[in-house]
Amino acid sequence: MPSRLRPSRRLTGLLYWLWLVTVPAAAEGGLVTLDWTLAETLVALDAPPRAVAQVDDYHTWVQAPPLPDTVIDLGLRSQPNLERLASLAPDRILISPMFANLAPRLQRIAPVDLLTLYTPGRDNWQEMLELTRRLGELANRPEAAERLIADTEARLETLRQRLPATPSPLLVVQFMDARHVRVFGGNGLFQAVLERLGVENAWQGNTNAWGFSLVPLERLVSIDARLVVVEPFPIGVEEQLADSGLWQYQPSVRDGSWVALPPVWSFGALPSAQRFAELIVTALTGGAA
Amino acid sequence: MTTRLWNRFGPLAACLPLALLVTLAILIQLSASGLDQGLRALISVEPLTPDALMLHYSWWPRLTISLLAGGGLALAGVLMQQVLRNPLAAPTTLGVTNGANLALLATTLFTPALLAIGREWVALAGGGGAMGLVFALAWRRALAPVVVVLAGLVVNLYVGALSMVLLLFHQEELKGLLIWGAGSLAQNGWHDVAFLAPRLLISGLAAWLLLRPLALLELDDASARSLGVSLKHLRLAGLGLAVFVSGCVVSVVGVIGFIGLAAPNIVRLAGARSLGARLVWSTLLGALLLAGTDLLLQQYSQALPTLIPTGAMTAALGAPLLLWLIPRLRLSSGPPRVVSAFVHRHPAPGRLILWLGLALLLAALVALAFGQVERGWSISLDWQVLEWRTPRVLAAAASGVMLAVAGTLLQRLTANPMASPELLGISGGCAIALMAGIFLLPAPSNLALVGIGTLGALVTMALLIIINRRGGFLPERLLLTGVAFTSLFDAVRAIVLAGGDPRGQQVVAWLSGSTYYADLPTAIAVSVAALLLALAARPFVRWLDILPLGQATASALGIRVERARLALLGLVALLTAAATLVVGPLSFAGLLAPHMARLAGFHRARWHLLGAAIIGALLMVIADWLGRQWLFPNEIPAGLVASLIGGAYFMWGLRRL
Repeated sequence: MPSRLRPSRRLTGLLYWLWLVTVPAAAEGGLVTLDWTLAETLVALDAPPRAVAQVDDYHTWVQAPPLPDTVIDLGLRSQPNLERLASLAPDRILISPMFANLAPRLQRIAPVDLLTLYTPGRDNWQEMLELTRRLGELANRPEAAERLIADTEARLETLRQRLPATPSPLLVVQFMDARHVRVFGGNGLFQAVLERLGVENAWQGNTNAWGFSLVPLERLVSIDARLVVVEPFPIGVEEQLADSGLWQYQPSVRDGSWVALPPVWSFGALPSAQRFAELIVTALTGGAA
Repeated sequence: MTTRLWNRFGPLAACLPLALLVTLAILIQLSASGLDQGLRALISVEPLTPDALMLHYSWWPRLTISLLAGGGLALAGVLMQQVLRNPLAAPTTLGVTNGANLALLATTLFTPALLAIGREWVALAGGGGAMGLVFALAWRRALAPVVVVLAGLVVNLYVGALSMVLLLFHQEELKGLLIWGAGSLAQNGWHDVAFLAPRLLISGLAAWLLLRPLALLELDDASARSLGVSLKHLRLAGLGLAVFVSGCVVSVVGVIGFIGLAAPNIVRLAGARSLGARLVWSTLLGALLLAGTDLLLQQYSQALPTLIPTGAMTAALGAPLLLWLIPRLRLSSGPPRVVSAFVHRHPAPGRLILWLGLALLLAALVALAFGQVERGWSISLDWQVLEWRTPRVLAAAASGVMLAVAGTLLQRLTANPMASPELLGISGGCAIALMAGIFLLPAPSNLALVGIGTLGALVTMALLIIINRRGGFLPERLLLTGVAFTSLFDAVRAIVLAGGDPRGQQVVAWLSGSTYYADLPTAIAVSVAALLLALAARPFVRWLDILPLGQATASALGIRVERARLALLGLVALLTAAATLVVGPLSFAGLLAPHMARLAGFHRARWHLLGAAIIGALLMVIADWLGRQWLFPNEIPAGLVASLIGGAYFMWGLRRL
């Protein structure tokens, strides 16, 4: 039988409920990270972080390995929610140089570790291995880090043997719109993997600090190489390309040798590297057969 | 005699060197693979070589489209400036480009199926919609020029804020549109030319038909009406045509700033008087300006690691040109165009201030104590939580006060309802320096960024004073200088974002005006600065009551106008720089708070300043709180929320005019 509560009772009830929900979550400690590259490596080390920034977008753009459902979302990578971060009371916060300006603020919550990757002028593969080992130490799983490194190296070696002895040079691009592509070159994940696979990258031009250069489509016409297009295609681009004389006359489009790859996180570490290697070798050998 | 000669051949003198330059660049770039083959590639791709392909499917369409787009934008600019009698009117200032941009962003995210029908139609609908909103807001005032420009500005800010929100949360999905937004002319076939050419031809014909009636708009309203012209319909036709042209251009090549603003002004300066002459010469000059910039860019783009979109480049090159032009522009220092018609006076401003102050106190309390945590809503006065919230509330309130005071000073100083700290360009200068800091330093600390930002603001301020000193700080000239700085800022931002660098997200986050980066010492320092600077405005109230009455009146009342303007300008610059460092350059409190105070009935300078300051603080505190809770744990920057709330209120207020 429903009884009407007096307003004061209802107010007390509301306050009690509010007090209940303010009691902090019991679990504390663990690692958290703002950076997807660090997150994917931690997942591969079987030590997933407690919280990551922009979890949904991670699953759209990095895809694999997936984050466990228990991972907490910290909000935007550039502006993680500090109140939530503080209430999690993590043991360490891992960031990349991109978020270095947040370090003083994050330090008030927990010790901050800055891990670098793709430093211009350094051997990217070596840097990737160092990053993996360092994460292994931080997560207290050094043996898992060594295992991941050994697995990846072995897998890449197997894949390399499936390719012909002298594979034709590749041009790895991702469409931004129907007229512009990112072409990937020096100081990036794709370049590092291509080198391990013994494949020549046909793009010898400049790249920015992130290993790509944004160029109009016309710059590709004079380069004689097999095209590798990393998906996703922006909406409507495939239809527009069907109309585009410049695309239709692309050497690798005319002889039908170009291949498309499912999305790969182009700024990733070892897990993305392995994924890219798998995909590209499957596409190249599948296309040849 | 010489003046008549100049009138006739002045525009030719402006266009001819540019035309020669463009021809020369065309010849140089064509002869790279043999002039003969280059010319033949215009017609066909045979023989099938990479060079011929490039020329036929990329180089020639690109040249054609740059000529068409430049001409079209200039044509739209002349029409808009003629209809609104305002040398600052252009497709960009009236919301058309931003409307088109937002429509494309939203369609890409939410209903991508529509894009299959055609990007140009989506863009056209967006641009037309934004302009329609402007018309609707200004309709009751018979589309009076000042009201249209004001409404355009508000719609522009509103739409711009919405796009920033989308961009903040979907940067990866929208990266292609960032390139489009920066205005890249790259082509991969002839279909864009086939789309644009017939539409521009028809528009040109329509403009020719409208020539005589539109020329009547040079008379004032009463005389034009006495000639039996329906001003409303005439303005509607003129503006509608301009929107159609700019919508078509924008949908194909993206946002290309400056041409629509500069070409008509240069031509007028060069001596073209009649509307017909201005239309023809502006179109020609616009086409040459854009083609010239693009050819220049293509010549050197091979060497750069990143793409520099032409639209951003025209804006960057145009800014210095505009700065050079400003002292040479004959600006009408006519009767002050204060929009005083819609101001009612509040009978007891003191009591209203008290209520506003109470509201501010209440809002601050709620913002501090009430919010979402891990498992729902909670009220808490625990320092663990307050530690993070206090600096943000303080910083929001302080920056609101500073921007509002700066905006009030500026609007009274220039007697111009469009004036705001953002428009003075100081925020823009500060932002350019900060972006340079983020991108050029390997891992910048916040202190380094603050230093760089202050330096940028100071340099801008110095330039502003140097350029305007000789002219005695004329309001219109001052604003025009600000427009130049702002367009330079837009250009730098567009280049930075179009490059697709992952750090772009950081730039977007900061640009959208968040209190996120305030910590307690900063927040306290900013609050103290806000109080001191706001108090510093107190002795100026007499000047502020008199200056809007015009220079002659002010001098007659014994004010040394130039010195007064210099002092007030310095104060505005300080206020703006301090606020920009905290909440970024795009929080529109500086524009909205003074207006809202005016609409609330604060009339005298003293009450206006005080009212605006409290409203500014209130606006920012509410915006900051909403931004933190709305999409928890994601945060929407306070500056964006402020412009969304404030903009809605403002449109409602404008509708009542």
